[in-house]
Amino acid sequence: MRLLLVEDEIDIRNFLKSSLEETGYQVQAAPDGKTAERLAVEGEFDILIVDLGLPDQDGITLILKLRQLGVKAPVLILSARRSVDDRVRGLEQGGDDYLTKPFALAELLARLRNLLKRNSPAGNDATRLRVQDLELDLLRREATRGGQVLQLTQQEFVLLEYLCRNAGRVVTRSMILDKVWGMRIQPDTNVVDVHIYRLRGKVDGAGQQPLIRTMRGVGYVLKDR
Amino acid sequence: MSSKTGKPAMRSAAWRISLWATLAFAFGTMVVFAFLHGFVASDIQRRSDAWLSGEVEVLGDVAERTPKNALYDAVVGEVAELAEREVPNKPATANGSDDAVFFLQSGGDGALKLWVGAGNGEAHLQAIRAKNIPEDRPTDITVPGFAVPFRVASIRMDDGSQIYLGLSERDEQRVLWSLRLRFLVLWLLIVLLGFGIVFLTTHRMLSHVRRITEAASQIGHSDLDARVPTTKRNDEVSHLALTLNRMLDRIESSMHQLHTITDSLAHDLRSPLTAIRGKLEMSLSTITENEQAEPVVSAIDELDRLTDFLNKSLDVAEAKADALRLTRSVVELDDLLRVMIDLYEPSMSENGLRVRLQSRGPVSILVDSALLHRMIANLLDNELKHLPANRNLTIELHSEGSSAILTLEDDGPGFDPEVLLHVFEGRVKGKTSDGHGLGLAFVDAVARAHGGTVAASNRKEGGARIAIKLPLAMEQSSHIMVPVVSKSN
Repeated sequence: MRLLLVEDEIDIRNFLKSSLEETGYQVQAAPDGKTAERLAVEGEFDILIVDLGLPDQDGITLILKLRQLGVKAPVLILSARRSVDDRVRGLEQGGDDYLTKPFALAELLARLRNLLKRNSPAGNDATRLRVQDLELDLLRREATRGGQVLQLTQQEFVLLEYLCRNAGRVVTRSMILDKVWGMRIQPDTNVVDVHIYRLRGKVDGAGQQPLIRTMRGVGYVLKDR
Repeated sequence: MSSKTGKPAMRSAAWRISLWATLAFAFGTMVVFAFLHGFVASDIQRRSDAWLSGEVEVLGDVAERTPKNALYDAVVGEVAELAEREVPNKPATANGSDDAVFFLQSGGDGALKLWVGAGNGEAHLQAIRAKNIPEDRPTDITVPGFAVPFRVASIRMDDGSQIYLGLSERDEQRVLWSLRLRFLVLWLLIVLLGFGIVFLTTHRMLSHVRRITEAASQIGHSDLDARVPTTKRNDEVSHLALTLNRMLDRIESSMHQLHTITDSLAHDLRSPLTAIRGKLEMSLSTITENEQAEPVVSAIDELDRLTDFLNKSLDVAEAKADALRLTRSVVELDDLLRVMIDLYEPSMSENGLRVRLQSRGPVSILVDSALLHRMIANLLDNELKHLPANRNLTIELHSEGSSAILTLEDDGPGFDPEVLLHVFEGRVKGKTSDGHGLGLAFVDAVARAHGGTVAASNRKEGGARIAIKLPLAMEQSSHIMVPVVSKSN
């Protein structure tokens, strides 16, 4: 996966570059908008990370310029601003994502994977999801594990569906809140954990191989093997 | 214009101003007319008196010189009739044989001696006798059978008889009547015209003021780029508009400065925080021993709490300066509460809390949804952290007038009385609280940024109560108004 990182802060750029490379991305880093434009035109990228506060231009302006130049790869926007302006919301509608600083690296990686998957053509219109012996019938809104029907509430089903769609990948608490409940909040309490705990109680019955794993300090993952 | 079109013109300031101005004008012109009328009336009186005095003298002279024989009546009568033709103020259409003038001579014994005029003269003589008429100046008498009084001049003859010449005031009154009528018509026209002109002028001017007011009221807490409309005229109203706009310029620039400061503060703190967090995470990935990982993980936790504190502090600071930036959209509060309660219910029941929503149906508000989400999450986090087990939380939602009322009531220990006084100020927390005390300050800040209020109190039955009032979205407020109005009837 080829990734273009546009970030002016040298500390952040360096640690992001090394972390991303460690994860398996081929990273090219640019400290400003001009360099980013040049790199984007020269090479093909699968995904972009763009910081909003660049020294020579606004991050959004850069993204719009790159889109005009024919760059179709999804963009993860990094922002140190506290309020999200309408233009970022617009880009979010268009399939890009944003993350406010400071962020957990796992959160960043999870969102990158999410963006890449969202842009891959397969898998989104399936009516059934299957992870190991867990099966979700999206039309009948019914989940079975090893042939046993699971008694899930509506909300638990949506949560499990989200975990299944991201099977094998870590999803963070804020991603769950964003995608399942549709809100970007950071509760001081363990509201998401209790939902996962309850869901796990239903999905991972006694004597079964546990599917939902907690990644400490990061989030959760539904094991796909 | 939209919000004021329903208001009747009669309740506008323009109406009142023009009404008072017109009343003053009407009264003033009335006084002037009364003065002129008095002047004209006395002038007409004076002229007819002069004529009467002159004529009666002539008649007296003629009567004196005419021998008292059979021809006397004919000669004096002829002269009297001639005099009648020269009556002043007489309308052109009137013919000579009317009853406007009479000539009467009474003998020394008071009996009617000679009469020229309409009727037989007895009634006139009676009236004259009833009233003592002085020699030197004409006097009014009222004759039964005549609506209009007569002006009568008299002269005493040497033979003791008395000559009276009477002139009806009918013509004089007709002149005055026509004067009054013409004045009244003209007066009404002028007054109405004046009212119209004053009303239109003030209405035009005040409608500009109204547009300024409307524009100014729409320039909310965060929408500061709008300006009130100005005109090219160089009057007080346009000065008002210009002054308001200059004031808005200054407010906007200081608001912009505040945003720049908070933004750069946030940015300058966040970038190093991001770098620190990244480095900690990287070092965490190289640590395999669980024990060694512990301090790094707790450092990351502390860092996240610091970030959260930074965000909330800046939000509260901005909101206190009325500078929260809002991106508003219509939010269905009833739906949102259900989703939120759905999110929090498992944690609540895990802590032994029962949560119940009492809602009277959909309530739409125009808010920044991200801020509203965080506000409600703060409220629920607050309950979750402070309520002991086996307690109840009741969330109540309804609309009242043009406001949405959201109330959270619990049967827990309630607020510490000391804390209650400063609960929305920030940095205040109960002794057992582990938060940084910004939660409710943030709730208050968000509510105020949206033009709402928050009130915290302890219930009589025990427990805490937080009531939030937010303005309804426009299109709904009109529907809601209806039942409230009918209820009050």
